[in-house]
Order: sequence, then structure tokens, then C-alpha cells
Amino acid sequence: MWSDLHILVGGVANTVTITLLAFLVGSVLGVPLALLRRSRSFLLRAPAALSIDLIRAVPPIVWLFIVFYGFGTSVVRLTPYPSAVYALGAVSAAYMAEIYRSGLLAVHRGQHEAAQSLGLGRISAFLAVIAPQAVRVVIPSAVTWAIGLLKDTAIVSVVGVQDIAFKANYVSQHRASAVNVFLEAGILYIILSVPMAVLGRWADARVASVVAR
Amino acid sequence: MPGPSDAFPLLQLDNVTKILGGKPVVKSVSFSVVPGEVLTLIGPSGAGKSTLLRCINFLTPPDDGRVYLNGVDVCPTYRPGKHPRHADLAKLRRRVGMVFQSFELFPHLTVLRNVTLAQQRVLGRSRVAATARAVELLERVGLADKASSYPSQCSGGQQQRVAIARALALDPEILLFDEPTSALDPELGAEVLAVMRDLAFAGTTMIVVTHALHFARSVSDRVIMMADGAIIEDGSPAQVLESPHHPRTRQFIRAVLEDQ
Repeated sequence: MWSDLHILVGGVANTVTITLLAFLVGSVLGVPLALLRRSRSFLLRAPAALSIDLIRAVPPIVWLFIVFYGFGTSVVRLTPYPSAVYALGAVSAAYMAEIYRSGLLAVHRGQHEAAQSLGLGRISAFLAVIAPQAVRVVIPSAVTWAIGLLKDTAIVSVVGVQDIAFKANYVSQHRASAVNVFLEAGILYIILSVPMAVLGRWADARVASVVAR
Repeated sequence: MPGPSDAFPLLQLDNVTKILGGKPVVKSVSFSVVPGEVLTLIGPSGAGKSTLLRCINFLTPPDDGRVYLNGVDVCPTYRPGKHPRHADLAKLRRRVGMVFQSFELFPHLTVLRNVTLAQQRVLGRSRVAATARAVELLERVGLADKASSYPSQCSGGQQQRVAIARALALDPEILLFDEPTSALDPELGAEVLAVMRDLAFAGTTMIVVTHALHFARSVSDRVIMMADGAIIEDGSPAQVLESPHHPRTRQFIRAVLEDQ
């Protein structure tokens, strides 16, 4: 059954790098988005909330097409690979913003007050007191999102990125039975995502041992 | 030697009022505290004691009235409904320390780091100087051996003593205690009260919200009884606790003593 595995492995690099880049984009852009979402000013809070809700309301594959066909006009030519990173990165940013927000909400109000009563400025209080405690809550959800993202990258094959799913689809058209090919693809995805879950649990346990409550 | 009442007030509250959820919780409260004075605030739950305490360091900015430290308005540009200026708040909180009912130590930092953090970030002390001061304060509260532990590895009483050391680390002019022993069983509460007693005898100016009437009687210079957001009795511990004028005070003290 393993006859086509070597072809599918050729897609691993694209699957992995798109996952990592989209997760990175989302993790970074999610921070300002989450902070704006929590702002006291309605003018900052409202657009952040609106964009988070809009991004999450549309399926990732639709975003992918919008980015690929919409932004890739004659002016700015977008190839499939960057389109995939931008689209999945934007979706990740919206979800990561909500994950960060729930992490920040989980930090008890008294912790903010203790930091304030010590005269810590808002930035110091956030960096030294609030954020490290929020991380504890964020890690499991972020890992869940990353694993989901790894699997969601399969949609990038529809715009022509040669990831695992693209290769599997291609090879299957030249075989009498497609099932074996897709089973092999499935096993490849498992091999990639299980270590992520293990790593996530390890990181969570490690942070929990420090940020105990 | 001049008595405390002759000294210039360190802290002065002038008609402080706080409205929460449409209800006045603190109603036009005025009093002053002189340097070295230990003032205990007693009264039933919902009397506004904690809210009043939080108005002093603007964790809950008052809706009316002013707060003065050494005769100077702590937030001169502040108007109710507006955000107080960050610079004023930073200055105020450097000078007024606070200890919370639920300790609120930073759980992700060691005991030592809990005490050094604000020294470095707020006072700009070097790590070495901050550590030296923290060790000194942890010795003072009897917890030098816990410096490298995390709060979760300490008992409640130990955590509260660390919280006291953390507040003292900024060398505040006055310390506010918001029911510091209410979350502790009597034995652990006693070790916290012992530390507070030492501070009082060393001349620390303190305002203590507590139901520990024996502490009020044996340590404080003055007791204020609050009910329904207002001061109903203000005097020496002997007067307020042993021969209260107000029937509400008599009723409250009887209820607390029966409970203990």
C-alpha cells in the first residue's frame, strides 16, 4: 500500500511551512487585535470586534479564493503559496485574538489591582504580571488551533499549492483505487499532528508547574 | 512629647463619596490620619469600609470629595467620571501601599521576585539593591527561607506576610489593609496580625479594615465605626469598643464577639 508514499512526502514541506507561517502570522497579528478588542475606547474596540467576527464568519476556503483571485490582480500578482499564507494567516489572527482575549479574561481582577496598587505602569503590569498568567490559559487552545490549521491547510491544494492533499489528489487520478492514496495521506497528517499535540501537552505541563494557582 | 492629634495630618479625606450601581456606598466621609497613627475601620459588611479604603489609593476613584497626602491633593486635576492622570496615580501608589484580603501575590513569580518587581520597575532600584531590601523585609515578616518558593507553596498566612513585605518594599508613607485576615483561619490570621502589630509598634502609619476586634483594641490608636456608608462613631479603641455611644455600634460589637 505504501507505493505512493514517496510522492506524497514531497508535499510535506509545503503543508508544514504553510501551517507554521500562517500560525506565526496569526499569533503575531492576533496580539494587537486582541488588545484593540479589549480597549476602553469604542472607536478602537468596534473595528477590532467587527473584523474578528467577519473573518470568522466566512469559511477559510472562501477567504482563500478571495485572496487568490481578489488580490492577485494584474497589479499585484499573487502566487498560490503566498495567497495561502495570507488567507490562513488572517483567519488564524482572528481566532488567536479570541484565544488571547479569553486568556486575558481568565486573569483574576485582583491581579490587575495588585499591579496597579504597586504603581506598575500599564505596560509593566501587562508584560510582567498579566501576560505570563494569560499564557497558561492560551497554550492548550493555541495548540488545538495549530493542529486544526495543519489539517485546514489541505484546502490550499484547490489554488494549486502542491501540499500533501494536492499530491494525493494528483496521484489518485492515475490509480485504479484512490482509497489507498488518501489513506497514506491521512497517515502522513497523523504523523505530523501527533507530535504537535504531545509538544503542546509538554509545554502546558511545563508552564503549569511554574504558573501554579 | 506631643500626642498624635497635634501633628499635621499625613492623610486627609474630605467629603469622599462613592456611588456604585446607583447606590451611594460611601457618603461624604471625612477624616484624617496623623503620621504613625494606626486606624481601624470596623462595621458590618456593606458599610462601605473597603470601598472607602480603595478610594484612598484610587483603585476606586471617588465620585466626589478630595484626598490629600501631606496637605497636597493626590489627584489635583481629577474630576469624577474622568480617568485620573496616570502620573498622579503612579505617584500616589508609590506612597500608599495596599494589602488585599485575597493576598493577590503574583503566582508565576517567586516570593523574592514578588517583592523586588515593583522596586525595580517603579522605583528604578537595581536588581542588587531590590534583592537586598526584599531579603531584609522577608526577614522582618519571618519568611527569609521562603524567598525562592512560589506563592502556591506557601500557606495563606505566609502569602499574606509576603504581600505585606511586597507593599513595604516601596517604602510607602501609609499602608492600607483590606480585611487582611478574613480569608485565613484564626491561627494563620494570628501570624499576620503579629506582623501588623510589629509594624504598628515600629511607627508605620496604617489604616486597617478588619473584624479582628482584639487587634483593634490592643494595637490601634483609633477606631472608626462605619454603617451605611457613613462614619457613626470615631474615637479611641476603649471608647468605641467598650462604651460605644451609638446603638448600632453596640449591636455590631455584640454580634462580632458572639461569633468569635
